[in-house]
Amino acid sequence: MPARKDIESILIIGSGPIVIGQACEFDYSGNQAVKALKEEGYRVILINPNPATVMTTPGTADAIYMDPLRIDYVEEILKKERPDAILTTMGGQTGLNLTRELFRAGILEKYDVEIIGASIDSIELAEDRGSFKKVVESLGLESPNSILTTSFKEAEAFKERNGLPLIIRPSFTLGGMGGSIAQSHEEFEDLVEKALQESPVGEALIEESLIGWKEFELEVMRDQHDNAIIVCSIENIDPMGVHTGDSITIAPVQTLSDREYQIMRDAAINILRAVGVDCGGSNVQFAMDPETGRLVVIEMNPRVSRSSALASKATGFPIARCSAKLAVGYSLDEVLNEITGKTVSSFEPALDYCAVKVPRFELEKFPMSYSTLGTQMKSVGESLAIGRTAMEALNKAIRSIEQGWEGLQELDTDEEELHKLLSSAHPLRIFAIYSLLKKFGPSYMETVMEQSGFDRWFLFQMLRQIELEQAFLQPPELERNSPAFTDLLLEAKRMGISDQRIADLLEISRKEVERLRLTADMHPSYHMVDTCAGEFSAETPYFYSTWGEIDEGSALGKDAVIILASGPNRIGQGLEFDTCCTMAAMAYRRLGRKAILINSNPETVSTDFNTSDRLYLEPLSSEQVTSIIRKEQCSDVVIQLGGQTPLNLAGELEEAGASIVGTKASGIDDAEDRGKFSALMKELGLRQPMNRMACSKEEVKLFAQEIGYPVLLRPSFVLGGRSMFIAYNEDELKDFFDRGIKATEERPVLVDQFLEDAFEYDIDAVSDGEYVYIGGIMQHIEAAGIHSGDSACVFPPYKSSEKVLEEMTWAAAAIARKIGVRGLLNIQFAVKDNQLYIIEVNPRASRTVPFLSKTSGVDLIDTAVRIWEGENLMDQGLVSMKSSGERKVGVGTCLYGRAIKEAVFSFDRFTNIDPLLGPEMRSTGEVIGLGDTFGEAFAKAQFSAGNTLPNTGKVFVSVNKKDRETVIPLIRKLISLGFDIAATRGTARSLFAHGIMSEVILKVHEGHPNVADNIRSRKIAMVINTPMGQFAQRGDDEIRTEAMRMKVPYTTTTSAAAAAVEAIEDIVKNPPHVQALLTGHP
Amino acid sequence: MKHMQKVYLVLEDASVYSGNSFGAPAPLPGDLEKNDPESMNTAAGEVVFNTSMTGYHEIITDLSYTGQIVMMTYPHIGNYGSMDAWSESLPDSRGTVSAAAAGLVVRDYYEGPILKGRRSLDDFMKEKGIPGISGIDTRRLTLDLRDHGTRNAVIVRAEGDKLSPGERESILRFLKKFPPMTGRNLLDSVGCGVISRDGHYEKADLGEVKKPDSADLHFALLDCGIKGNIVRELEKRGVQVSLLPSDTNLKQIEELGADALFLSNGPGDPGVLKKQIELTRQAIGKLPVYGICLGHQIISLALGAETYKMQFGHHGANHPVRNLETEHVFVTSQNHGFAVTREGLPEELKVWFINANDTSIEGIKHKELPVMSVQFHPEAAPGPHDGAWIFDSFISSAKESRAKK
Ligand SMILES: Nc1ncnc2c1ncn2[C@@H]1O[C@H](COP(=O)(O)OP(=O)(O)O)[C@@H](O)[C@H]1O
Ligand SMILES: Nc1ncnc2c1ncn2[C@@H]1O[C@H](COP(=O)(O)OP(=O)(O)O)[C@@H](O)[C@H]1O
Ligand SMILES: [Mg+2]
Ligand SMILES: [Mg+2]
Repeated sequence: MPARKDIESILIIGSGPIVIGQACEFDYSGNQAVKALKEEGYRVILINPNPATVMTTPGTADAIYMDPLRIDYVEEILKKERPDAILTTMGGQTGLNLTRELFRAGILEKYDVEIIGASIDSIELAEDRGSFKKVVESLGLESPNSILTTSFKEAEAFKERNGLPLIIRPSFTLGGMGGSIAQSHEEFEDLVEKALQESPVGEALIEESLIGWKEFELEVMRDQHDNAIIVCSIENIDPMGVHTGDSITIAPVQTLSDREYQIMRDAAINILRAVGVDCGGSNVQFAMDPETGRLVVIEMNPRVSRSSALASKATGFPIARCSAKLAVGYSLDEVLNEITGKTVSSFEPALDYCAVKVPRFELEKFPMSYSTLGTQMKSVGESLAIGRTAMEALNKAIRSIEQGWEGLQELDTDEEELHKLLSSAHPLRIFAIYSLLKKFGPSYMETVMEQSGFDRWFLFQMLRQIELEQAFLQPPELERNSPAFTDLLLEAKRMGISDQRIADLLEISRKEVERLRLTADMHPSYHMVDTCAGEFSAETPYFYSTWGEIDEGSALGKDAVIILASGPNRIGQGLEFDTCCTMAAMAYRRLGRKAILINSNPETVSTDFNTSDRLYLEPLSSEQVTSIIRKEQCSDVVIQLGGQTPLNLAGELEEAGASIVGTKASGIDDAEDRGKFSALMKELGLRQPMNRMACSKEEVKLFAQEIGYPVLLRPSFVLGGRSMFIAYNEDELKDFFDRGIKATEERPVLVDQFLEDAFEYDIDAVSDGEYVYIGGIMQHIEAAGIHSGDSACVFPPYKSSEKVLEEMTWAAAAIARKIGVRGLLNIQFAVKDNQLYIIEVNPRASRTVPFLSKTSGVDLIDTAVRIWEGENLMDQGLVSMKSSGERKVGVGTCLYGRAIKEAVFSFDRFTNIDPLLGPEMRSTGEVIGLGDTFGEAFAKAQFSAGNTLPNTGKVFVSVNKKDRETVIPLIRKLISLGFDIAATRGTARSLFAHGIMSEVILKVHEGHPNVADNIRSRKIAMVINTPMGQFAQRGDDEIRTEAMRMKVPYTTTTSAAAAAVEAIEDIVKNPPHVQALLTGHP
Repeated sequence: MKHMQKVYLVLEDASVYSGNSFGAPAPLPGDLEKNDPESMNTAAGEVVFNTSMTGYHEIITDLSYTGQIVMMTYPHIGNYGSMDAWSESLPDSRGTVSAAAAGLVVRDYYEGPILKGRRSLDDFMKEKGIPGISGIDTRRLTLDLRDHGTRNAVIVRAEGDKLSPGERESILRFLKKFPPMTGRNLLDSVGCGVISRDGHYEKADLGEVKKPDSADLHFALLDCGIKGNIVRELEKRGVQVSLLPSDTNLKQIEELGADALFLSNGPGDPGVLKKQIELTRQAIGKLPVYGICLGHQIISLALGAETYKMQFGHHGANHPVRNLETEHVFVTSQNHGFAVTREGLPEELKVWFINANDTSIEGIKHKELPVMSVQFHPEAAPGPHDGAWIFDSFISSAKESRAKK
C-alpha cells in the first residue's frame, strides 16, 4: 500500500542528550526517519533538545523544537503545530516513555494525534516485564524463571528454591537502573532490600541467573501485512551476564546450527506478531544454554535501538529509514533496498563477512572493580569493524576503540591478575583470555571456556592468532625477504593484525614492517558492503578493507576529499564531532566535490551510507588512512572536524604525502606543543596562567610555592585532561602523588597557576588566514576549574564587560593569524580581576560548533569548507570592511535572547561516584535551552537535562564559608517565591545573621534523620551545596550522591545556584513557551 | 602452522584458485582422465554459490546439488559441526545417507573442537567422499559467477607442490569433456530404486517425526532426489507417503491408490526429463499433482511451458517471494539454476508466486485442475520456515478433490 494520504504532518520525538545507554544511534535513526518522511512529502516536526545532533540542523525537518522532552512542552508544540501523527519509535526509551505519558495524560487524544510506529498497546506489552513474560509463554516459549515480588520473604523463598546467583531488578526504574546480580546470601539480602527501596512501587523482579549462557539478538522488521524479515542476527562473544551494550558482539551468529537458528527466527517473528509490532523494527534478545540448547527469551524493544543502528551498519540495511516508511503505510516489499537498487526490503541481508563490535569504556574516569559489568550498561561508546573473518574484524574493532590496543594482545600483568580477570565480567577479560591461552596453549581452552563462558569457537579463533604470532618468532628466524616470510606477513594481515603489532612482535619499527610489506607489493583490498553477499551488484559505495582478495570500486581521484571522523564516542569526543563531519560532507557535496568519510563508530550519521560519496568503515589510524588515500588516488584530508583523533594523525599523514586541508601540521603543532605555544603567546603579548614544567616531586613542590597555591597539576601523557588535579596546599600535593602519579624527565608534570573564581569563556572562530569570523563567545556559568565540557554556558555572555569581550575578539584573531589557521579554531579564556588569560587553544572544530552554528544561524562548518574551497570570509559576506575596518574580523550574534548549553552526566550508572565537578570532563552529553531571558533559557536547559527545578517546596542549603555571603540574595529570592529553606547548622547560623529563618537539618554523620534521609523521603525539592575544595568534609558527597539518586536537582557552585534561582523565578511566573528553531539572521 | 594439503579449484575458463584441503581427498589430475565425466559426481561439477549463512550440512546433502560444487559465500563454515540427523538426502537401501554436492568451497573452514555429540564437517565429508577447499577468495569467485554465469570446475590436488603446466592442461582437457548443466539428466544417480509403500527411508533416522496411526491422505512421491524434510513436513501433517523411483509409470501409481502425485526437487536440467514430463502430463486430470523445485518445473513443462537456464540461479535462504493471490511477501529457501519462462506460459496456468526481486516465476497453479507447484523450498532445511504453509495448501487441495470424487 502506498504512503498514507490521511495524514499530512508528523511529529518525531528525539532521544535528548547523550547518556550511557542512549547515544548518537538515535540521531542516526531520527535523521533517517526525518529524511524518509520528508521524501514522502509529509511535514515533519521534530523535538529534541540536543544541540549536538545532525537531526536538529536547520533544514532537516520542517520545524525543529529544541525544547524539553516533557509533556507540558510537547503539549505546547502540539497546540502550535497540530500534527496529525506522532512517530514514537525513533527516540529510544525516552521517546517511548514520553509517548506513554502523553497518552496517559490524554494529551494525544485532546489534540487528535495518532500514534504511528508502535501502538501504545504494543509498547505496554513489550515494556512491562510481567506482561511480556505472559506473551512469551503464550507462544510456547520460555522466559527465565522469576517472581515479581514486593516482599522480602517471598524473595527469600524463591532463593531457597532456585539457589544463587540470582538477578535482581527493581520494577519501573529508568532503563533497567538498579539491576544487580547477587552471588552470596549477604549480597542477596542487601540487594533485594535496595531494589525494593529503589523501585517507585516497592517491587522487584527476582530472576534465575543465566550467567554464562550464550546471548543472541535478532533485529526484526514487520509490516502491517505480516511480512517479516530478520535483518541481522548478532551473537554476543561475552556471554549472558554482560549487557549486550557492553559485550563484544559479532554478526552474523556463528555458533548456531540452522535448526537452532530457525527456531530462534520463528520465535522472534512470533513475538513481534503477538506484541503487535506491525510497522517497524524491533530487537529480540535470547539466551541459550550452551549444553542443553534450552532457549530463553530475555526481552524485546519495540523500536529502533543501539542494536538496530549496529545491525544497519553491519548489513547495509537501513532499519530506521525502513521503519519510518512502514509507519506511514508502506509494506516491506514496497521499500527498495537503496544499496543494491535492485532488491526489495523484504529480502534478508546475507553477509559474506563478519562484523564485530567492541565497546569503549572509560576505565580512568569511572574505575571498575573486577565484576562490575552486569545487567546495566556502562560503556560510553563502541566501534564496529568488518573483516572477512572473525579475527580480522575483531582485531580491527579493538584497534578502532582507540585505547592503545593494537588488536588482541597479551596483558602486561601477572598470572594471578589474569586468572582473576578470566572469571570476572570486566572489559579486560578478553585480553586476559588471550594472555592465558598464549601462555598455556590449546590444552587450556576447556578451562577458559568453563570460567568465562566464551564459546569454543571464538577461543579457537584466538588460538589461530596465537599460532600465527608464534610462527613469526619460531626459530629459525625467517629471512625478511623470503617468500615464506611474505606468506606469513600476508596471513597476519588477513587476520587483521596491524603493521604496528607485527613490528612489536618482531621488535622492529613500524616503518620497517611497512617497508617490507610495500616491497612485497602488499596492500589492502576493499570490499563492498552490499547486503547480499555479492549476489547483486551494489550501487551504494560502502567499503571495508581486507587483504589478498579482489579489490572493488575504482578510485574517485583528486576530486575527492577525505574527511576523518571521530571514532567511538568517549567522554570529551562524541556526537558533536560526528555532526561536524557530516555537515562537512554535505557542504563539500553541495560545492560539487566528492566526499569520502572514514569512521569506525556505527552509531553515527556519518556512517550512514548516503551521507558521503564513499564510506569506509575502518579504524582511524594512519595505516588505514594512507591505504585509503592510495586506493582513492586523492590527497586532500580534512582532520579538523573529528576532534583529537584525526588531529593526532596530522603529522604522520603529511609525512606520508597527504595534503592536510586547512591549517598545516606545523600550525597545529604550534598550538599543541606547550613550549612553542607559550612562546607565541609571549610574542602576541597575551597572558597565560603562570606555568612550569616539573620533572621531579621536589620540583613540583618548589614550583607550586613559586606560583602560589592553589595550583592545577597536569601529568603529561595522560589523554584528555585525565588526572588533572587542583591542590590548595602542600598536603593536597601529597594526595596527588599518592594517586601513583610520578614526575620524571620523560613525563613531567605541568604546574599551572590555578585561577580561582575566574570566569571562563569558549570561543569558536573560523579563519581564512587573513579574515577571521568569530562564531560567538560563550560564557561559562561555573567558574574556571570546571571543565568547559561540564560547565553550563550561555551565549551571548551574561556577566561580562564589553571591554573584555572586545579583548577576546582581538586575541582570537591575533592567535588565528599567528598560527596560520585556515578553518576552525577554539579558544578557552579565563578572566580574573578583569585580566584576560588564555587557557587553551584547539586548532580544530570544538564541541560547541554545532551549538553555536544553530544559535547564531551561521553554519561554521559550511563556512570553513567554503574557505577550503577558495571562498574567503569577505566573499562569504561574514566579514565586511565597513563594519570591521582594519581588524578584518566579523562576530556572530545569537538569534535568541539567550541560548544556554548544559552538560548532562551519566553518574547514575555507577555506584559510589561523587558527581562533584572538576577540571576533568565527565559529562556524556549536552542539552540546549533557548529563551528570551536568561531565566527562561536556563530553566529549559535544566528541564532538558533532567533536572526538575521545583516551583514550590523546600530548598536545602549547605555552603562553605566563602560562599555564605553570596547565597544570601538567592535565598531571599527563593523565600519571596514561596520556598521554605532548610540548612545545616553552620549555614543556618549565617542565614540567621542575615535575618533569614531556616529549618536546621543534621549532616549525614550527625545522626538521623539527616539530610540524606530527608532527600530520600522526598522532603527536599532542591539542594544548594558547595563543597570545601577537593577534600570536602565528610557527609558532603553523600548529599550529592543521594540527591542524584533521587533525581533531586542540586547545584554545587554558587553561580549555578544563582542561575537556578533565576530559572525558578521564570518557571513560577511564566507558563512554558516553545520556540521553533530559526534558520538565519532576520 | 599446521601442514595443510594444498588443493586447487580449477574452472573451465582456466582460472585457478588455490586453497587448503578438507573433507575427502581431492583427485589428482591424472586420475580425472580415468573417470567417465558423464557419471562423475564428486570433485567435478558446475560451481554455484549459496548465500545461506547457516545450514551447510543440509546443503551439501541436498540431492538437488548433484553435479554441482557448492561455494558458500559466508566465510566461516564448519562452525557448529555436523550431525547425520541433519542430512537431507534419504538413506539408500543400505540405510546410509548418500551425499549430494560434488564439492564444497569455502573461505575459512573451522577445524576446532565442537559440541559433544556432533562430528566435524570434515569427518562427515570424508565419509561421504566430498572434497573441500578452504581459504580461497570466495567473493571474487562469486562476483565472477554473478557477472559471467556459472561454470564447470573441479577440485584437484597436485602431484608436486604446485600444479604443473601439464597438470593444468589435463585438467582443462577433462573440463572440456565435462557435460554442461544444460541438457543434463541426473536422475539416474539420485532417488530411491524400489517402490515402497511404507517408505524405506524410515530405516534411517529422520528425526522426531511420528507417523500418525491412521493416515488421512496418501501421496505418491516421485523421488527425483527428494529432501528428507519434504517427507517430514507431509507426515507431520498426517499424510501417508510412498516414495517412488523417478521412472515409475502412471499405472504403477494408480495401482497404489494414492490421492495425489507429488514431484520432488532434484538435480539437473528439467527440460530433458522426458519420462517424468510425460508421466506428469498423463497424471494431470486424473490425479491432483503437486511439486516443489524440479517438480514444479516438470509440471510446468508438462503443461506446455518452457524452462531456461538462469545466469547463476537462486541459491540461498533469503529470497523474497510474493504471493500474487494475497500480495503477501515472505522469505524462502531456494536452490535452482533453471526457471520457468514467463513468456508463453500456457493459458490454463496462472502465476501463483513471483520472486519479489527479479520477478521470476516462483509458483504456478492450474486454473481448473488441482495442480500447483512452487519453485522455492517450503520445507526449508536449511532456511526460514515461512513457506511451510504451502504443504497445507497441497493437502487441502488434495482433500477437496478427493471429496469431489
Ligand atoms: N536472568 C539473567 N541472567 C543473567 N544475565 C541476565 C539475565 N537477564 C538479563 N541478563 C543480562 O543483562 C543484560 C540486560 O538485560 P535486558 O533484559 O536486556 O535489559 P535492558 O533493557 O537493559 O537491555 C542482558 O543483555 C544480559 O546479558
Ligand atoms: N590555570 C587554570 N586555572 C583555572 N582553571 C583552569 C586552568 N587551566 C585549566 N582550567 C580548567 O580546566 C579545564 C580543562 O583544561 P583544558 O586546558 O581546557 O584541558 P582540556 O584539553 O581537557 O580541554 C578548563 O576548561 C578550565 O575550566
Ligand atoms: Mg537488552
Ligand atoms: Mg579545554
